[in-house]
This record gives sequence, C-alpha cells and structure tokens, in this order.
Amino acid sequence: MSEQFQRGVQGRLRVHVLPTKRFKTFAISLFAGVPLSEDRVSPIALTPFVLRRGTKSYPETISFRERLDDLYGAGFGFDLYKRGDNQIVQFRLDIINDRFVSVTDSLLGEALSFLGEVLTAPAVEDDRFRGKYVEAEKTTVSNRIDAIINDKIRYASERCIEEMCKDEPFRLPALGTKEQLAQLNASNLYEEYRRWLQDASFDLYVSGDTSLDEVLAFVSKSFKLPEGQPSSYSPPKLRSARGEVQTIVEKLEVGQGKLNMGLRVGATYGSDQYAALLVYNGLLGGFPHSKLFINVREKASLAYYASSRLDGHKGIMTLQSGVEIANYERAVVIIKEQIQAMKAGEFAIEDLRKTQAMIVNQLRELQDSAFERISFDFSNVLSGVERTGDSFIAEIQAVTPEMVTAVAQGVELDTIYFLRDRKEEA
Amino acid sequence: MSTQPYPKLQETLWHEKLDNGLEVFILPKPGFTKTYATFTTRYGSIDNHFVPPGGQSIKVPDGIAHFLEHKMFEEPEGDIFSKFADQGASANAYTSFDRTVYLFTATHEIEANLDTLLHFVQNPYFTDENVEKEKGIIVQEIDMYRDNPDWRVYFGLIEAMYQNHPVHIDIAGTAESVRSITKEMLYDCYNTFYHPSNMTLFIVGGIDRQETMERVKKDQANKKFPPGGEIKRLFEQEPDQVKNEKRELELPVSLPKCLFGFKEEPGEQKDAVRKELASKLMLEALLGASSALYQQLYDDNLISDGFGHEYNTGPGYSFSIIGGETRDPDELVSRVSQALYDAADKGIPSDIFERTRRKKIGAFLRMMNSPESIASEFTRYRHKGGDLFKLVEVYESLTLEEINERLREHAKPDRRAISIVRSGKA
Repeated sequence: MSEQFQRGVQGRLRVHVLPTKRFKTFAISLFAGVPLSEDRVSPIALTPFVLRRGTKSYPETISFRERLDDLYGAGFGFDLYKRGDNQIVQFRLDIINDRFVSVTDSLLGEALSFLGEVLTAPAVEDDRFRGKYVEAEKTTVSNRIDAIINDKIRYASERCIEEMCKDEPFRLPALGTKEQLAQLNASNLYEEYRRWLQDASFDLYVSGDTSLDEVLAFVSKSFKLPEGQPSSYSPPKLRSARGEVQTIVEKLEVGQGKLNMGLRVGATYGSDQYAALLVYNGLLGGFPHSKLFINVREKASLAYYASSRLDGHKGIMTLQSGVEIANYERAVVIIKEQIQAMKAGEFAIEDLRKTQAMIVNQLRELQDSAFERISFDFSNVLSGVERTGDSFIAEIQAVTPEMVTAVAQGVELDTIYFLRDRKEEA
Repeated sequence: MSTQPYPKLQETLWHEKLDNGLEVFILPKPGFTKTYATFTTRYGSIDNHFVPPGGQSIKVPDGIAHFLEHKMFEEPEGDIFSKFADQGASANAYTSFDRTVYLFTATHEIEANLDTLLHFVQNPYFTDENVEKEKGIIVQEIDMYRDNPDWRVYFGLIEAMYQNHPVHIDIAGTAESVRSITKEMLYDCYNTFYHPSNMTLFIVGGIDRQETMERVKKDQANKKFPPGGEIKRLFEQEPDQVKNEKRELELPVSLPKCLFGFKEEPGEQKDAVRKELASKLMLEALLGASSALYQQLYDDNLISDGFGHEYNTGPGYSFSIIGGETRDPDELVSRVSQALYDAADKGIPSDIFERTRRKKIGAFLRMMNSPESIASEFTRYRHKGGDLFKLVEVYESLTLEEINERLREHAKPDRRAISIVRSGKA
C-alpha cells in the first residue's frame, strides 16, 4: 500500500491524485456536496440530469454522447446520495490509458476537459438552461422517484429510514420530491445551479498513470468554478432513539413480507469507536457467520436474507429481512434477541476474530479498485479524519470484546417497519 | 504448464489440464493485494435431463442445480462460510442457465482458502435433514424474486419465447419442484456434473503462479475420482416459432415494464463467440445511448435511462432482449421493431459501425480492470469455445457487411416475443 494520494488545490476545488500504474484506466470522480435541505434538495438533484444533456462545446445530447464514444467508450455517469446530513452529487469517468490504444492527444487531458465542461460550462441559452432538457429531465427524475416502489426491498428500506428520521433533513430522498420538482424551470434551476457552484464542497479525484502536476495543469484549463477557497463538510448531528419504539405496517401487493428495523448507534465515522461499531455490525448481521444470518435463516429457516447495514456517516443502522407474512412476529422476536445478546456481550470470541478478519480482508481488497480507494479517501474528507487503509486495519485488529460490548450499549432500536400484503390477517 | 502471453493487454495467462481432467488457469496480477478464484462446473438450470457416463437417462426437478449449489456449503464439520471467514475470505456462489460457479476473494491465507474451495466443492454432504431444512430458505428466495418486477418481466420474455427448451424454466424452480427434491437426486446430479473433467478452476490476483499450480496439482492428485466420461444432455426438439407473441402480468409498478426480443433458430450455435460479439455490436449501434433512435425515444418520453439491450446464447438457444420501463409498451415495441426492420433493409452506416466498435473495445479494456469480471467472463467464453483475451482481435476483425448480415438474420418479425409487467387496475 505504498501508493499515496497527492493533494492540491485549484480555487474552490480540492484535487486528489493517486499515481499508479496498476490499472488499465484512469478513474476520475468529482464529488460536490451541500448540507441536505428542504429548499435545495430537488434543484440539486435535477442539476446533474440536466448537465449530462449537453455542454457548451457539445450542446446536443447526441454529440455529447458521441464524444464519449470517441474517447474509447469512456464510462461516464453520476450518482446522487446522502452522506451524513449532506446531499452529494458524484460524477464518474473511467477512461482507458493511452498506452493500450493509438491516440495523439492525452486521453486523460481530454477526459478532464470534458468533465470540467460538464460541471462548469453547460449548454445554456439566454442565461438559463435549455428548456427542452429541463422539462425532459424533470420527467426522468419524477419517474425515478415513482420507481422506488418497484423494488420492494429498497422501498421498504427507504420507508423505514424516512419514518425513523421524519424530524430531520435526512428523511428527504436524495432525488428530491415531486412537489418541488414541479416548480422548477430553466431559469430558476439555472440560478440554483450557479448558487451550488458557489457554495458546494468540491473534490476531484484522479487515479492512474499520472501526477498531481499534470492533473492540476489540465484542471486549470477546464474547470471554471467561481473564485474562492474550498469549503469543508460539517460533522453530522447525532440523535438518540425515540423513547418508545414505533411500529409502522404498510400494505401493498407483495407475496413476501419485507421486515426492516432502524436503529440509532450513538457514534459515527468520525468517532473513535467507529472501528468497534463496524465490528459490532459485522457480528450482528454483516456476514454469513453473523447472528442474523445464523438465527433467522440457518436455524429458523425463516428467510433467504437477513442482514444489517451500518451507515457510519449518519450514525444509524438498518436491519432487513424478507419473511413469510405469518412469520413476522417470530422474526421480530428472534432479531430483538440478537440485539439483546450483543448488549449482554454474548458472542463467541471466534466470531469476533472472523468478523475482524473479514473486515480487514475487505479493507485490503479495496486497494485493488481505483474507485473504491477514492470512496474510502473521500469518507475521510467528509468526516474530517485521517484514516489510511493500514491505520484503519490496525484499528479493526485492536478491537476487543469489551469495546464491542461498550458500543452495543449505545445501539437502540427506534423503528420497526413491515411491508405486508393486502390480505387481512395471514 | 503452458503460457499464453497477450502483449497487447499486458497480461499472461498460465494453463494446465490435470490428469483427472480439471482445467486450471492462473492469471498473475503483480501488485494486486487480492486473489479471486472461481471453481466452475458446466452445469446449470438447463441440464435437467441427461445421461450420466455409462448410466441411464435421468429427468430431475426444476431448480435442482441451484438447490445443489446451496447445499454444497454444508459440510459434516459445519457451515463452510464460517471456515472461509476464519481465513478472512468471503465466499459465494451462483447458478446460471449453463454454469454453477463457486468463488472466494481473499488477501491472506490464499493457499488455505484455495484448499477450502477445492475441498468443499469436491465433498458433497447431503442428508435428509439438511435437504429438508434448505427448502424453507429457497422458497423464501423464490418468493423474493416473485415480488421483483424486473426479474418477472425478464423471465416472462424467455417463457414467451421457448416452448420446450429448459432455458425457460426459472433457475430456482418453483416451491413445488423444490419440495420434491431428495438427497438421492442431489447425489445423482453431483456425481454426473461435478467430475473434475467437467470443471474449470480460474485464479487471478497477486499470486505466484508456480506455487499455486503445484498446490492445486498436489491437492487433486491426492483425491480419487472415478474415470470421467461423456455426459449426454437431452433436449427436446424446440420449434423455431415463439411460444407466445405476448405475455402480460400484473404487479405494482410505477410505469409498465416492457421487454421484447427475437428468438433465433434453435439448435447448435456455430462460431458462437463471433456471433455474440457481432450481435452485441449491432444492437449497440442501433439502440445504444448515442444512437439517433435512443434520443428520439427519450425525447418522446417512451424510454428511460434503464432502456437497454442484451444478447444471450447457450446450448441450443440464442435470443436478444430489448426494452425497459415505458409509458406505452405497444408504441415502444412497434417503433423499435420498425427501426430494426428498416435498418436491416438499409444497412448500418459505416461511421456508426466504427464508433460503436471503438466503444466496445474501450468497454472491454475497462472490464479487464476487474479480476471478478475476468474470471467470470473467461470461463463463460471458454465454454463457448472462445478466448476472452482475444476478444479485441475479434472486434477488430468484424466487418460492416457481417454486422448487417447479422441484423438481417436476427430481426425477423415472426420470431418476436413481448413481455409486459404492469399494475393492476386497482
């Protein structure tokens, strides 16, 4: 793990470069984040959809996409998600290293120039976005919001979080809301976009056979962000679980019940206890040797999947399982017993060792993926900590049973959400 | 050990066929921390009627290959996931139409993990009790898929296309077929299809190829296998015509999901790899995100970003799948079909052909960053008589004439089937 990120700044943009010759491509990610807010969530969600329709140099969508094809089918895409109490837009570009093909111009230079234009020089007319693009992308986003219901597992998971966090900005979906979307047009969206360029935190990552100097030289030519200094992220506010667990049952045409539970965990990615918390999550439901898998699936044969997921940036944990509707109560009882057992420190030392070995393995494995290394490093930027792969591995290996039991005391069930069929009683 | 250097890709593959018939491939990736190994049998959901070497013809219940995959993880000494976890590895498996793949990834104790992989796949342990217990879990897995509209519309199309060929049978089977499975049937399937001569081991990562090969050879030399022989797979005659022109199903979805495609002449596939690449290039040229048709359909709000296409071939079958979610399935099918028929008459323009070829080569090179994809795709192409590392050469040798010929052969109005999932009239 001798490869290290090199860091630089170009105006409002933090630049992180990982020089490496191991991959056949250059991996590029641009992160832009602002605090999640009711007012801005929808315009910011719509923005990348409109930006991917055309730029100043390639204003027509077909020419924009042909440009990507000509760059040897560069992989281009974006994601929208919540990290802690922030709304993040991530653009990704994956482009092959020049040495595998015969080209005259640097493909990295071409790719950064393209990305810089996507972000800072979109296709505009009369100081606003192209109306046609805005209208079409409003439909696209609206359809995506509606489409969450298609995948019942995901739907149940998002509904559980929405119910648990109903008094916080975190309840907002990263895609925004249909009501706000309807209010957006080419002018007001363009204003929101300009504001976003002025106040979002921007981090550009490049991994590949290059250097910080080379990347900075390309970036200065193509990223036309407003003047200023980089802005940083603020830490998430930790909340404790509601006094009494709330239970939400929702009915839909499903054959299998989807059981979700939301918990507050009392620590975040930036906390010293984070390593112990990650081990806790692994013991409870992160792996096939975990309590949930063993007790809900292997022993009781109640489910095909039963797992837990830790959102360290927000300080919450969710448990999910698909069960026969008639088995709902049995499953809840078994899952609660597992949470209780963790509090009582009832877990085998071998299982703790296994969990540590699995997490360490995952941390080592991510060194082999450029995009995963980038995500890991960006988590540091978000949380204001300085973890390297090696230092974090050492933290995980130092976790003791007492440390796990200590974090278990801070894990509290907040919400039970069950998605079931429309029949009366099963 | 024979070597196959691929200087253009900067990769060298090592290969040996062992005395017991097992094919072993090693791809060293210097500098990678992770090792990824797959152990694959040429046995999947379509192999439900067969004659074992020197035996009598057997017909087995639907879903048995997948059931067998689940049961392989159980050993007399306990659950094999737990053993892998002890060694810091994560293990998994999947079953497709014509393959069952067992795999692990690890960064440490590679030799021990390799031993475990070979041991558990070559050591079946089925009891009446453990077979019975698995049924509840698999029925929940089937129910989970039944609630998933993407899976239902996908399988609905294959069911519409094929009348007799077992590719139309759900990989997991049905609750009824799964309940009829016994340990004796599992042993019959195991003994037929898990002979080393029907299997391939692929190892990729930061490993020493000499040591690794020696380890595998020694392991295999210490195990006794009966002599292998030819497995006869029996397929009923499949008519050229599709079974149903259209199949519809009701499930709660935000927008109708619509897939359609063309069934090609059933039977043995000649030059399957070249045909597959030509077909994929042809479909991408006409329907990819930078095609004029895609943009028109998007502008008319008939497709979303999820619109896509694929081409599948295997023993006795080959077909395309086109579509996604749409407000109007009939209009989508009719416009895309018409565009394909028109293009078959007029031919694909050469500049579009060249750009698409470039894009496919770029996508291939990007895929070569992922050890997981390399292992999986290598074995898949090898089963079809091809070589993953020579795909760039195949792409480079394709001609426009060939692509147009492929299109004329493929897009035949009387070979089309449609599958739609939409919400019921609530």
